[in-house]
Amino acid sequence: MPWHVDEPLLEAYQQGRLDPSRVMAVDAHLQACPACRSAVPADAEWLDRSWEAVLDLIRTPAPGPVERAAERAGLPGHRLRLLAATPALRWSWLAATVAVLTFGVVAAYAGDARTSLTWFLVAAPLLPVLAVATAYGPPFDPMHEITSMTPSAGPALVLWRATAVVGVSMALGLVAAALLPGPGWYAAAWLLPAFLLSVGTLALATVLPLPVAAGLLATGWVIVAGGVSIAGEADLPVVFGPAAQSGYLLAAALAAGVLTRRRRRLDPGESR
Amino acid sequence: MTTIRITGLGKRYGATTALDDLDLTIGRGVTGLLGPNGAGKTTLLRCLGTAQAPDSGRIEVFGLNPAVAAERTALRRRLGYLPQSPGLYPNFTAAALLDYVAVLKELTGTRQRRAEVRRVLDEVGLTDRARTKVRKLSGGMRQRLGLAQALLGTPDLLILDEPTVGLDPEQRMFFRALISRLGETRTVLLSTHQTEDVSALCERVIVLRAGRAVFDGTPRELAALAQGQVWLSADPPAGGSMYWRTADGDYRTLGVRPPGGAAVRPSIEDGYLTLLGPDAATAVR
Repeated sequence: MPWHVDEPLLEAYQQGRLDPSRVMAVDAHLQACPACRSAVPADAEWLDRSWEAVLDLIRTPAPGPVERAAERAGLPGHRLRLLAATPALRWSWLAATVAVLTFGVVAAYAGDARTSLTWFLVAAPLLPVLAVATAYGPPFDPMHEITSMTPSAGPALVLWRATAVVGVSMALGLVAAALLPGPGWYAAAWLLPAFLLSVGTLALATVLPLPVAAGLLATGWVIVAGGVSIAGEADLPVVFGPAAQSGYLLAAALAAGVLTRRRRRLDPGESR
Repeated sequence: MTTIRITGLGKRYGATTALDDLDLTIGRGVTGLLGPNGAGKTTLLRCLGTAQAPDSGRIEVFGLNPAVAAERTALRRRLGYLPQSPGLYPNFTAAALLDYVAVLKELTGTRQRRAEVRRVLDEVGLTDRARTKVRKLSGGMRQRLGLAQALLGTPDLLILDEPTVGLDPEQRMFFRALISRLGETRTVLLSTHQTEDVSALCERVIVLRAGRAVFDGTPRELAALAQGQVWLSADPPAGGSMYWRTADGDYRTLGVRPPGGAAVRPSIEDGYLTLLGPDAATAVR
């Protein structure tokens, strides 16, 4: 005669009073026996809720390491989703940035220290500018057409992404600069030019398309800073001296003012 | 009820005129846009979708003017758009990609976003592909995913730029069924080269040529343009007419009646070919 779950056992099972081995035995029987299964009252609402929770777990994409770190830093989840799609925050971009910086550091140790350091200082500010140029809009964002027709498109999204990429690329640059030979303050000499070029790019993007604005400023910087550095004889080229740094700070403040005033005109590449 | 009102819309790319003083009104249901390549279909859809500003004229969608920043944002909240070639991040999973677009559509609550992603995945039949990376999806599945992102937030206006291009017959049937269902409760504007899609789906069809609307009516009215000009005959026509040999071995002629030709009921394609003449050759596939 086949065994079935009797009433006292069923009651204990429902109330959670059985030990694990007996729960497993009842579970196994219920799966095979429709008659006993129908005797277990089902809370449809609870089942639906549980099922939804299980589906959420299965379908929700697991956050990547960058997202997890930013979450710990207090950024809300939806903001992270927006930033995670930024082209310049993808692994390939980060790897390229690290490779360029590593090359700069290795060159500084391997060759003539002064020349290598000077070129590091000239090149390092270009990394955040490049990241800003590719942070939003065509041709770097394959989903730009879809993005541009959503309510989040526009200046706010550009600024969020630009802030994220400038932050990441400058942090990587700082690590590389700290590894360079020479006096410690030398390592920080590229920070203000980098900040100026990044904010300047965004300010200029209120008039020109973002990649064009970045290209103009980056080219101008390489010609001026590179030219002056090559021509100069001093240990520290004049473009990284205290007077120049004050000028960069002032110009960055001006660019930030222009950007704040004209932020609604920030053209991320749309034909508007 | 009028959803879209377009007055005197103009757009040029250098010497090329994409839209030429276009006037249109579009209401609820499925409206098809037909036209040869370069007729201005995509430009019109991009202007309506707020991705592009026209050079002249005025657009009103749900009474909102996209030229005004605040109204443009308000319009984007009610809009779903499937571009002709939706570039989707290849390394995102289907669910992550939809989650990202849901954030762009201002669905900021995690629970609300997850429920919405689940809903649209179910709607396009991709529930079991939620964790598959976009690069591993077939072309048809990517197109479904593209449609799914357009459906996020239950938009009142759906703009679909050639949604069935490159799909196999089964996938096309799936899209047709879904689009016709969506058109029952909202405005769907779709651009297509497939006259079969128009006859199967659209209550109204607009034919564009060189940036102007050269036809605006029902599919039946479009087909009627070729009334009395479509013939079946055992021998090919003498010349001057468009014709082809059918699978049965007869000749189907559009134009002057060939000797012994019997009149047949025209299709939308016949009407379209009659309307556009030689231009249509580049449009019908």
